[in-house]
Amino acid sequence: MTADRQVPGTGAPGSSPLPAGPAAADSAAPDDGWLRVHPASPFVRGWVALAAIGFFFGRDIFERMLQGRPVFTDELAGRAPWLLAGGAAMLLIAVLGFVLTWYFTKYQVSGGYVRVNTGFLFRQQRQARLDRVQAIDIVQPLLARIFGLAELKFEVADAGESAVRLAYLKMDDARQLRATILARAAGVSTGVEGPGEAAPEAPEYPVLSVPPSRLVGSLLLSEQSFFVAVGGVASVVLSAVTDNQSFYFYLIPAALGLAASYWTLFNKGYNFTAAISPDGIRLRYGLLDTQAQTLPPGRIQALKIAQPPLWRPFGWYRMQVNVAGYGLVENAGEGTSRTTLLPVGKLEDAMNMLALVLPDPGTAQPAAVFGAGLTGLDSDGGFVTTPRRARILAPLGWRRNGFAATDTALLIRSGRWWRELVVVPHQRTQSMALHQGPLARRFRVADLVLHTTAGPVAPRLTQAGVDEARALFNEQSARARLARKRQTTEQWLRQVAVPVVEPAETRPAPVVEPSSVVEPVETRAPHAPTQEGPQHG
Amino acid sequence: MHTEAIDPPGIAWQRVSPKYITVRLVEWAVGNLVAVLLLSLPLLFVLLGVWRWPPLWLAVALPAAMLVLALWRLVLIPRQVRAIGYAERDDDLLVRTGIFFQRTMAVPYGRMQYVDIGVGPVERGLGLCTLKLHTAAPGTNAKIPGLPAAEGARLREQLAARGEARLAGL
Repeated sequence: MTADRQVPGTGAPGSSPLPAGPAAADSAAPDDGWLRVHPASPFVRGWVALAAIGFFFGRDIFERMLQGRPVFTDELAGRAPWLLAGGAAMLLIAVLGFVLTWYFTKYQVSGGYVRVNTGFLFRQQRQARLDRVQAIDIVQPLLARIFGLAELKFEVADAGESAVRLAYLKMDDARQLRATILARAAGVSTGVEGPGEAAPEAPEYPVLSVPPSRLVGSLLLSEQSFFVAVGGVASVVLSAVTDNQSFYFYLIPAALGLAASYWTLFNKGYNFTAAISPDGIRLRYGLLDTQAQTLPPGRIQALKIAQPPLWRPFGWYRMQVNVAGYGLVENAGEGTSRTTLLPVGKLEDAMNMLALVLPDPGTAQPAAVFGAGLTGLDSDGGFVTTPRRARILAPLGWRRNGFAATDTALLIRSGRWWRELVVVPHQRTQSMALHQGPLARRFRVADLVLHTTAGPVAPRLTQAGVDEARALFNEQSARARLARKRQTTEQWLRQVAVPVVEPAETRPAPVVEPSSVVEPVETRAPHAPTQEGPQHG
Repeated sequence: MHTEAIDPPGIAWQRVSPKYITVRLVEWAVGNLVAVLLLSLPLLFVLLGVWRWPPLWLAVALPAAMLVLALWRLVLIPRQVRAIGYAERDDDLLVRTGIFFQRTMAVPYGRMQYVDIGVGPVERGLGLCTLKLHTAAPGTNAKIPGLPAAEGARLREQLAARGEARLAGL
């Protein structure tokens, strides 16, 4: 994606908020397929500012009412005009800022690109290649949901700052735009280039849903709860032993923080449903803020299925994925929910999701191999584990730590108590490294690390026998090379539809141009000025 | 240098310039000598009688331990530099480092997003440069330091050309 900054040529920014030159160009622009976001969106986004103004000026009156004093006194009457004038001025400035932001935010879908223009003093134009779309989300915060609005957010894996956001659109428009973007990204030619003539939304088939009771159970039995229980017992014991009541006071903020964290997890994980459609995996979740994610096929870089010890009696698993662009989310809470493919599910749910992510398991007995990856020991399912000579390095885990390779993916399993299975499709391997420390050398073992995009999954095969590790290192290079050759296009439906034309069509468009060298700088530079924009208004 | 256990067999490693030892020595001097000097301050104060608390043996032991550690690192530097190697294979670039903690990394040409060349002040004086490879994975920390400037430029062009020929998506 490239982003250019266009600073309006008018020298005096304070003179007029609407410089003549760009304004004239803008008034013509919407005719060329440029669309604006919903007029209410700045208010939905900036309601905090409005609330702050309201609070600041209404507090006095509110306090009087609360204390039962008369609302209108002589003292207030003297101040009232000033208060009203100040309030009105601030409100006016805020609203003017909102309107200008709205007026200058425009987007366009055409010719394989999405373009988004924002900012009125410092203009920013971003364009994203549709066939590089990694994932696309429809996010609805509570307030937007009340107004029937939604934010469309999509990840384009090219440069550092990768999310392109359109906030807010009407729910139906957002859905339609998503369908259009996905259809274009998939290489389906609708024949119509206008964004108005959107592609029909792909049908979807539900795969699984997580009942709230299981979600609550999983939260109560999570690792976090374990440490909470230990911490709680420890503090009670401490306060009893030292006869000091102040421990309870320290517990109050901790309890508040915990409640907030549990609430976030519950709010994000509530009503989790997964569905499959031709344009990818659809995930929906959220109690108050809802989010609908679409992960196009083959966009998942690595996958982890984990089972904490307390979940074992219930046979629950958690699945997390690395998707290019997701890992760069600065907001941790948002990041974890977006990279979760399955917050909690039974074995069959996990297997179903696995089948969606990896349609071709590359083995004749997928259930046996992946089952062994989840629960097996030693050489079940063709896994190669840590050699016996190195068992002292991992007294518990050595029978679990191991790998197996199918035709399409490498499976790395680990952990006797904290069971984990990491799956990396061969064609997604970026680079890899063998590591060996002095202790490992004594036992003739080595670690193999596969590098993947930023995210919760960090594939590392620990303590494999040195010969096995070296053989795997070579085989894996060869397998990744072959898989890369097989995978020729980013436009996944075209791959199926017109296999003959496809290499010729995709070749001329270099996927990662050498020009991406400079892109991170270009994309980052315009952000700071854009954020300053509204303040200048 | 013989091929280590974790290296793929039959690789002819290209070694980096021995002049890179000088660069590492300068870095070592800046880092470790300053640390030793800082840790010697308590000793000075104790000897001058300004401070009373740290007993003399502790004030001596602290910089002494640091000095031993620094000297140990100093002794290792030439071997560490000799252990750095790279090899251009048909489809990937191999980079190896380390003596005690060894690492052998394979970066496929088709996965390289861009190649950086960096030159520090000491490196510039010696006509060296550092080549850095970037893929979509932040974990790919492939750095080849101490390349002669001409070799660095050649390698960069070579990698760019090969990368373009084998370009793959994400």
